[in-house]
Amino acid sequence: MTRQLATCLAEGIWFAYQPGRWILKDIHLRIPPDGFLTILGPSGSGKTTLVKILAGLLKPQKGTVELLGRSMSNGQSADPEFRRQVGYIPQQLGLVRGMSVLENVLMGALGRIAGPLPLCGWFPKSEIAQAREYLAFLGIEHKAREPVFCLSGGERQRVAIARTLLQNPKIVFADEFVSDLDLPRAAQVLTAMCELSKRERIPFIINLHEIPLVQELSSEVIVLKNGNIVHHGEARQITKTLVQQVLA
Amino acid sequence: MKSNRLPEYELLNRDVFVGIGLLALAVLALAQLGLFDLERLVRGAGNLIVFFRETLPPDQDVLPIALIALAETLVMAFAGSLLGFFLAVPLGLLGARTLAPAPLVYVVRLLLGAIRTVPSLLWAVMFVVVVGLGALAGTLALAVYTLGYLAKLYAEYFEGVDPEVLEAVRGVGARRWHIARFVVWPETANAVLSQLLFVLEYSIRASTILGFVGAGGIGFYLNVYVNTLAYPRVATILLLILGLVLIMDVVSSRVRQRYLLTVP
Repeated sequence: MTRQLATCLAEGIWFAYQPGRWILKDIHLRIPPDGFLTILGPSGSGKTTLVKILAGLLKPQKGTVELLGRSMSNGQSADPEFRRQVGYIPQQLGLVRGMSVLENVLMGALGRIAGPLPLCGWFPKSEIAQAREYLAFLGIEHKAREPVFCLSGGERQRVAIARTLLQNPKIVFADEFVSDLDLPRAAQVLTAMCELSKRERIPFIINLHEIPLVQELSSEVIVLKNGNIVHHGEARQITKTLVQQVLA
Repeated sequence: MKSNRLPEYELLNRDVFVGIGLLALAVLALAQLGLFDLERLVRGAGNLIVFFRETLPPDQDVLPIALIALAETLVMAFAGSLLGFFLAVPLGLLGARTLAPAPLVYVVRLLLGAIRTVPSLLWAVMFVVVVGLGALAGTLALAVYTLGYLAKLYAEYFEGVDPEVLEAVRGVGARRWHIARFVVWPETANAVLSQLLFVLEYSIRASTILGFVGAGGIGFYLNVYVNTLAYPRVATILLLILGLVLIMDVVSSRVRQRYLLTVP
């Protein structure tokens, strides 16, 4: 099965939360149809804002964003049919704490299940099987019935990934969602994501801080400073010294 | 060498002074109302002793009829609270700014404000006019009062749901009803049910008064015995109400401990 060409194009993006205080300044970016793009940068450089704009969750004051072939400026980003093609993992993961792991993952299927049965607790068996398969791949299938607030940080991250994958997205954005983990565990979660990216041919765009992980897992990297892209290149070329130089 | 000078302080929070100001206002108001008039208080204490002497012991002959009326009060409180609750949940959703369109939120909040303006006793008078004397009028009055109170609170709870969770679930293509069922409900269920228990307790207390205006329950008898100065009978009824309220407190506390799970 071939996937539709998945890409995101940003041209001349300017964004400010308060008038005149620009968080992003004239950003031009083309995200390739597959691979693993990392956004690096110090705190306050505009990484989260950029990811939200690229994912169609925020509207820039100037510039255009085209996601999966659709312009984000005419309100299409709010269309549920379109939204389910775009995976987004927020920094705090956005899991429903009072629900089980399996129920949280099944949220990912809500965009394509018609009828009132899910509201009463019934989900299609095929969706449940698919959710369990993703949980098994991520190594937490045995926790499927546990409430999500009983899980460790790393396990919660896997639940968020599984939910996004069940959505069957054509592109996935993730906002520093491994920042609360120690390096080995962050590497474990990101390696799983990277494998999925290759297996399912889904482009991943992620904010990260850890340079060794970026070198090992990413295909492409951009570095943001004060709302500008100060470096854009292959991830294997990125070094701590280079990052320090471009941020200096 | 240790210095004897006190360290310098800087005032960062004025909450304590606001509290002291409010307390001073309360004392002034009470003084204006005569609470600190000692002569009046001593005279009143004497009357209280006479009142207790005439009230005790309670009259047990009234027990059978009072128990039946108490059961009716309990039924009124449960039916009224639950009816109000089932209406309050959807109205709370429609009154939450994060979930419903702004014009609808405005209309719903206006409606809820209007409902809350009228006290439950006045609702009881209105429903006595509409459906006649008896427990049905009391039940409907409690339902409307519960609706106004709970829907306002629920709208606030629903608005307080973590916006990141809403954003994440909206992001999967979920519709409004999915958001209500799978995000808003699980995130707020504890607070919602806890308030329902509180309203049940309130309704039991309130329904004892609704009988004063002919809206059924034990309040009807309480009113009759107070008006005919049958204080021993009043004492019996007050003890029964006290017993019911204490039982409700225990039951509600057990329900909270057993079923309302604390989500960290």
